[in-house]
Parts: sequence; structure tokens; C-alpha cells
Amino acid sequence: MNLQVPFQAPGAPLAHYVSDKPFDVGAVAKLTPAQERIYFASQWRLMWWKFKRHRMAVVSSVFLALIYATLPVSEFLAPYESNTRHTDFIRAPPQAVHLFDEGRFVGPFVYGLDYKLNMQNLRREYTVDRDRVQKLRFLCHGDPYDFWGLIPSDRHLVCPPADGPMFLWGSDRLGRDLLSRIIYGARISLTVGLIGISISFLLGITIGGLAGYYGGWFDLLSQRLIEIIHSIPHIPIFLALAAIMPASWSPILVYFGITLILGMMDWTGLARAVRAKLFSLREEDYVLAAQLMGARTPRILLRHLIPGFISHLIASATITIPAMILGETALSFLGLGLRPPIVSWGVMLNEAQNMNVVSLYPWLLLPVAPVILVILAFNFMGDGLRDAADPYSS
Amino acid sequence: MRALSAALAGLAFILAAAPQSGRAAETPSLMERSEAPAMAAATDDGGAGGAPASTLPVPVPVETPALAEAVSAGRLPPVAERLPKAPRVVDLAAMGRETGQQGGTWRMLMGDQRDLRFMTVFSYTRLVTFDEKLNLVPDILQSLDNQDDKVFTLHLRPGHRWSDGQPFTAEDFRYYWENVANDPKLSPSGPNLALLANGKPPTFEVLDPETVRYTWADPNPGFIPAIAAAQPVFIFMPAHYLKQFHQKFADKDALAAAVKAAKVSGWVSLHERKSRQYRPENPDLPTLDPWRNTTHPPAEQFRFERNPYFHRVDTAGHQLPYFDAVTMTLGTPNLIPAKTAAGDSDLQARYLNFEDYTFLKAGETVHGYEARLWEDGIGAFAALFPNLNARDAVWRAVNRDVRFRRALSLGINRRDINHVIFFGLARESADTVLPQSPLYSKALAQDFADYDVAKANALLDEAGLDKRDTDGTRLLPDGRRMEITVETSGENQLYTDIMELVSSDWAKLGIRTFVHPSHLDIFRQRIASGDTVMAMDRGMDNAVPTAEFEPNALAPTQDSQYQWPGFGLFVQSSGHEGQKIDMPEVQRLEDLWRDWRHADKVSAQRAVWTEMLRLNADQVFAIGIVNGTRQPVVVSKRMHNVPGTGLWAFQPSSYFGLYMPDTFFYADAGKG
Repeated sequence: MNLQVPFQAPGAPLAHYVSDKPFDVGAVAKLTPAQERIYFASQWRLMWWKFKRHRMAVVSSVFLALIYATLPVSEFLAPYESNTRHTDFIRAPPQAVHLFDEGRFVGPFVYGLDYKLNMQNLRREYTVDRDRVQKLRFLCHGDPYDFWGLIPSDRHLVCPPADGPMFLWGSDRLGRDLLSRIIYGARISLTVGLIGISISFLLGITIGGLAGYYGGWFDLLSQRLIEIIHSIPHIPIFLALAAIMPASWSPILVYFGITLILGMMDWTGLARAVRAKLFSLREEDYVLAAQLMGARTPRILLRHLIPGFISHLIASATITIPAMILGETALSFLGLGLRPPIVSWGVMLNEAQNMNVVSLYPWLLLPVAPVILVILAFNFMGDGLRDAADPYSS
Repeated sequence: MRALSAALAGLAFILAAAPQSGRAAETPSLMERSEAPAMAAATDDGGAGGAPASTLPVPVPVETPALAEAVSAGRLPPVAERLPKAPRVVDLAAMGRETGQQGGTWRMLMGDQRDLRFMTVFSYTRLVTFDEKLNLVPDILQSLDNQDDKVFTLHLRPGHRWSDGQPFTAEDFRYYWENVANDPKLSPSGPNLALLANGKPPTFEVLDPETVRYTWADPNPGFIPAIAAAQPVFIFMPAHYLKQFHQKFADKDALAAAVKAAKVSGWVSLHERKSRQYRPENPDLPTLDPWRNTTHPPAEQFRFERNPYFHRVDTAGHQLPYFDAVTMTLGTPNLIPAKTAAGDSDLQARYLNFEDYTFLKAGETVHGYEARLWEDGIGAFAALFPNLNARDAVWRAVNRDVRFRRALSLGINRRDINHVIFFGLARESADTVLPQSPLYSKALAQDFADYDVAKANALLDEAGLDKRDTDGTRLLPDGRRMEITVETSGENQLYTDIMELVSSDWAKLGIRTFVHPSHLDIFRQRIASGDTVMAMDRGMDNAVPTAEFEPNALAPTQDSQYQWPGFGLFVQSSGHEGQKIDMPEVQRLEDLWRDWRHADKVSAQRAVWTEMLRLNADQVFAIGIVNGTRQPVVVSKRMHNVPGTGLWAFQPSSYFGLYMPDTFFYADAGKG
């Protein structure tokens, strides 16, 4: 306080005035352009920025995108057709691709395989013949196929050498190329489980959302229904279904049926989580404000509430997708999943599960690699997405 | 009148691996059926019966080391008193085997408690048994006289005792016949079918404590094979033990208390449970087998100990069995190959699969065992059974068309399957008897077993299945696509592989195929109800038969036959259930089977067999793919007397039973 200033003389006009200059509210805390970009960015933009910061998530997403991108063109990418058999090359070990033969550059090639039947141990033994240099061919003509079931073609990205086979990842017990089968198998393994998830999400969000938002009799009914579904043991249900499912159904139809049922049984957990989340969110001030401003239920739900727990949904989805991929394997084990001649990673692993394989033909376990990679990728991507979906938390 | 041994002589070449010693000469006249009313065989050998025992001097018995202590303590009588007066002397040298030494434990791995029955199968102790050349020899019996397949006189070994030391006498036969087989409560449907000739039971007589006689009015040629079978008809029971559970003999209050203690519904189920001889679950039940169970179920490991009163002895006077004990450890079947390869079993074949062989072979030197290959004794490792009683009328009609069945058979590239899956070791053949059987005919085995796509397609066109869909798939008469779902029990992984190869072969015929594995129970039930159009399973169970064996697998006789479950049920239930046979070829088979049951000459039986085999091959009721496949047998290097190769079959060899596991021994048993 400035005590030196003398008191104003009585009757004199007051010293303060009202400025008529334009008033800038933000002048107190001036934002730099960079800050402005952040503070005024849309929620989606913020999510994208946050997601980009999660390196593993980005890498995983790219990886998954690439894998999914192969699905429409499996026929072109795979060197062989999925069921082409090579009777002379049963359980052949993986061949290495070389570029140089004795110091001389020849381009990508494989060495020839010599095959000997060991009748003592009943084992097919293969030796690499270094004298036979077999060059790979690219964009060549190989096993014929109908592209998308419409266009007959026989062009492949890589073809086996003209004078020998090419099993980059080995061959299986009927002499089928493992690499080709893994490429074909991705088609089934990565897509068919998505149906189950879609059903599960649709049911879970709708039922859980309505129950959580409205409460009351709908909540009561849906909770009892969920409890009933929860109390039904899964394995006997599957066994019963296996008996009921018409044997004349083609394997793929059976699997669609099973995923449908999986989805129908899987939504309950999600519905409960959604409901619980909504119970707390619907009491928030901003919901009240929206209600007072006359927003209708769908708008409140979709615009104000769902973004509030989208991170939870993403976490749940990224857990469920790998679970569905693994579920395929589990169901195949029970004899309920896919069956040959359909090729999927689960089917391939199922055929590889015995002692022989582990000790004698380890490459038959290779389908494990894509399964693990895809599941890890989904988990990392989910991690990144979950963080990103909640951009306002620190 | 015929000499059974003459018929069986044809079997001498069976089991090529069996030592071809001069044994035929000394093998028995026991089963000889002579013109003379009775006892002819017995009198030949001076009253001792035709047992090989009579041809060999009974050696001076040597006390078993493991029992010596009990004997000296007075808890057991000495070996000379434990053996029957005329024990069965096993001439190991004549069998090309070594004389062994007593001691040691045979460890084996099994899947679950029901596998206890394998002890009875492996032990193969029967009233009469087959020997390695499939001659019938007396075993528990000293001799058996057979007059015209109508009068059977059974002579017991004097002094033979149950495993608890009580005498084994004619009373035990009487107990079974009068108080079990003919007890309205214990056998509500009457005596076992094998004991009925033309539906009529025999007259049973006890001639003296060591002799019983069964007399039928009509021939009953199935009697001896039934009591010598791997799963035999037990016509005797330990009366002294079981009477306490029989209403007729037991003290009322004591029986009621026992029923209550066992928590069963009544004395009938108590008796049934206590008297189970085929599956030795009851450790208290006296037995005549080489080893007796000492463990009460449920258990993870069952221990069988030597029966101190076993009736076989080697030429050096050692009472058999050589092994003091057998342990049966239960576990997950999938892990049995791995455990075996780790040396956890001394002699193992069950639950080992052909595809495990390479893996087993790799562990041989490290774990001190040898992996051998025996030959499977089934008619087909895998066979396809078109269901003639399918519920779907269109498919039923197609399945019943012989041209369709022949085409399917011709359309299979058996050579490819043999080489891809069996390393070329199997035989590409129809589902029929093996070359080891005297009834084998190469022509029949090759009938419709060649690979001829053109001929198959021509047959299908001829059968009116000539319409095709745009993708080349044939159409059924009602316009549906020809898509066959082949069902399997899912227990054999190789079936999936074989079906995959068959599918690609049949695709060339314009037939699409799917495989549907399901649980064994569901699988059987679906076939029986006709829901299944086609099934895949093993072929004939006994593919090394002689004309003496009942040809029931070749005719509709049971509802468990996958090609005609409805007809089978019809015959089995004497026309009360199932479907009346309305196919002349099947009817002919049933007639032939009845002819066999009434045949009184081996030549007549053989004619029936030949005709039935011919009809089956010609009609292709079962589409066999390969037979003569191999079964891995893992034998500890310490174990001796196990044949290098043998026939792995339930019938007629009782798996190991035919090779007498009581004569297997450890070279180092004496030291440990």
C-alpha cells in the first residue's frame, strides 16, 4: 500500500476511468501458436497424437494392417495352393534362400533336396545337395487358382524353381508347403473370429447401455438374463452343440455357427461393464446439463457417455480378438472348430500337437509364430489405443 | 466226423514269425474229434488227455525265490503242493524261447481303469487256448473231449487250486451253470448265447470232482472258440468265494449287511460286481491267472502279484509266471508314447501308434529299450462303411447300389496312401482276411482294390449318377450335390490324413467329401440311428480266422456293424427290433452264417467262409483301404522271450496273450 500518496481532495473527480480500448480476455495468459494447436485440437486429433507417441502401438498397427492386407491376395502371395501335395517331399525341413553360391552371385535360389527313406527308423531323411542350384522364379506361373472365385489365374509372386520344390518353412506330413498354408490360414484365423466380436459388442453395448442408463425393470430383466447365461457351463454346451449341429454342414458353416454362439455367450461380461460404467457416468454434471438443454437419449448416450468409456471398450476388444483367435484352436481341439480341408492356423497347430512333432519335425509348429505375433500386436495396439482414447488424462 | 486238428493243420503256416520248430508233432490231439463216442483223445495218451503236459515229463518243481520266505514261515505250502498234480509243462525250447528265471516286475502304462481287462487278455489263461500256430491246446483243463461238437467232456487237473489256495473243482462249474447262468435274477435273459445250440441249452453233468460234461442236442461249434476267446465266456466261477454273495447260499443278514456296505441296490449287483472275472477289479476274487490284482479301485496304479498256485511250469521246474509282479500305471493316453520313450514301461504296445515309431526309435539307446514292429491283425486299418440303413432315402438307395460302392473302392489310390502314411509297409487290400489265414485268397483281397478312375467314373454314370453341377460335382437323383460326410470316432489321427487323401481321390470322381469326427458314443449312436451316410473305422476284428471261428463279422449279426446297423439289430434281436433285411445279398449272408452254425463238418464251415468272403468282396459292403499295418511294440532290453515280430490282434492272439507273457523274464532278475 502506498502511504505516500496523499488523500484526494474532497469533491475532486475520482482518478480512475473505464478504458474504451478493446479488451482481450486471453491477454492475461497468452497462448503460443503451438499451445493453441493443442488446446483447440479436436478430440480425435488429440487421440491420434497420443497414439503416435506409443511406438510399439504404431509398429503393431502397421504390422496388423499389412497382415490383413495379405488376406485378399493370399493366392497370389502363396507359392503353392493350400492343398497341393508333394508325395516325394513329406515332412521336408525348411530350405534356406541363398544369394551367393561359392562366392558367386546368382540371385535368390535354394539348393536341391535329396530324399532317402530310412526304413530302420521309418524316417524320411533329407540332405541338401550343394551341387544343385535351383533359382527361384518371380511373378511366374504356378498352381492355378480362381482369384476371388472369379478370375482364373496361375500367377504367383514367388514360384518354386523349375526343377525342384521350394519349402521355405518346410512341408507337413502330406507334403504340403507350410508357408503357403500359413498364408492361406491367416484368411480364416484373422477374420472368422471377428464375427463373434461384432455380435458380442453389438449386444453388450446395447443391452448394457440401456440397462445402465435407464435402470429399472429393463436393468432387472437384463441382469437376470446375464446371470442365467453366466451359470451355463460352456464345455457341456459345446459338446451338446457338437451333437446337435448337423454333420452335413460344411466345416466353415459349423465354425460360423460356433462363433455365433460364442458371441452370443460372450456379450454378458461387456454388458455388465458398460452398465456399471454408465451408472456412474450418468450422474455427472455434464449429463445433467445436456439433459437440461433438451438432448435426447441417443445423443446423450452416443455423444456424451460412450466417449467416456471408449477406452474400456477398446481394451475389451483388443483382449477379445486374440481370445477369439485362440478360441479357434481350443475349439478345434474339442473337434468343434474348423476341420480339414479348411486351412487355419488352429487346424495346423491341432495337427501338429504330438510328441513326434516337437522332437522330430519342429518346423510344423511354425504356425505358432504368426499366432503369437498377431496376438502381441493386438495387445500393443490395444495398449496404445486405450491410452489414446482418454486424451485428457495425464 | 472230422479231425479238428486236421483243419487246424492248415494253420501251421500262420504267424510266419513264430518259430517253426517240430512242435506240430507233439501238439495235441486234445481237440481231436474222433469217430469213437468219447475220450478217444484221452485214451490215446494213456488217459492223461492230449495235453502237451503228457508228452513231457513233469519236472521236479523248484521253489520260487520270492515265495521261499512265506513257505518256510508256513504261510504257504511248498511249490510241489501248490502245483496241480499234472501241471501244464511249457516247453520253451520247443517254442524257440529260453528258459528264464523268476523275479522282477513288469511295468506297463494304461489309460484308465477299464483297461484292467487287459490283464485278463494278456494273461490268456483259458480252459483251452490257442498256441502260436493257432492250434487249440488245453490250458486250465488237462484235456477236453469233443464228440461231434455235441458232447464236450472237460477234464480238470487234479490238485489245481485257485489263487487263494482253495481247490478248483467241478463244483465251480456247477455253481456257474446252476446258480449264475440259470439264475433268473443273475441272468435274466438266460445263459450266454455261446452256450445255446439252436437256442437250446446243454445238459450239464458232473461226472466226478474233476470232470464235467456239456451235452447239446444239436452241434455247437462255437463253444470251444468261445471259451478260448480273448474275451472268453467264463463257464466257471470260484463258488467257495461267491456263495457268500448269493441269495441262495448266503446268510440273509450277512448278505444284507454286505449289500449295504457296498452301497449297491441289491445282492444281484453285488454278486455281479464281486464276480467280474474279465475285468479283475475285485482283489478278493480268486483267480486262475498268472497274476492276481492286489489293489482296490479306484487307484492310479494297480499292482498284480504272482498267483502262487498257477498251473504252468517250465521244463526246469520253475513255476510260472517268471515275473513276480505286474504294475499297471494309469495316465493320459496321449502321454503314453512319451512316457514309454522315457523308459517308464518295460513292455508296451497299447496306446502306441504307428506314427510314434520314429520317435520311439530315437530313444532306444538312451533308455535301454527296443522298438519293434508287429503286424496288425485287423482286416483293414481303415475301411469305409456306406450305411445301408441310412435314414436319408436317396442316400440309402445310392449306398445300396453295388456299382456305387465298387466305384468308390476303385476310386481310392491305395498305393499313394500306403506310401505317404505307412512308408509302403502296409498292404493295399480290401477289408478281408490276411494272408496268414488259411481262408485268404489273393483275388478277393484285390477285388475292386485297384486304382481305376475311368472305370469308377463309368460305374457311377451307369448307376444313374451322371448329372453334374457346374463345378463338376455329381448330383444325386433328387438334385442335391453329391457331398458325403464321412464320420469317424476321432480317436485315430491317421483317419483324418487318410480321409484327406481319399477326398482328393474322390474329387476326381466328382464326389465331394467332408470328415466329421465325433465322440465314440455319439458316433455309434448316429450310425445306429441311420443319421450317418458313411463311416470310417477299422475293418474286420479278427482277420486271421480259421473256418472254426464264427463268421459273424461277415453277416449282419450285431447293431454295432457300421455297414448295416439296422439289419444287424434285426438279427440280434431275433426280429423284434431293427430293419428287416430287404437286400438279397445281405439275406444270403445271414443264411450262410446260420449254415455255419449248423455245419457239422469243417469242410462245410470252410465252404461257408469262402462263400461269405467272396460275397463280401464282390459286394464291397466295407471299402477296405490298407491292412497289414504295423504296431510298435516297445520291449525293455532286459526282457527276454518277447518275439521279434508277432500278430497284434485282439482275436485270435489276445494281443500278447498268445505269446505267453508269463514266460517273459528279465535276464538280470536273479541278481536283483
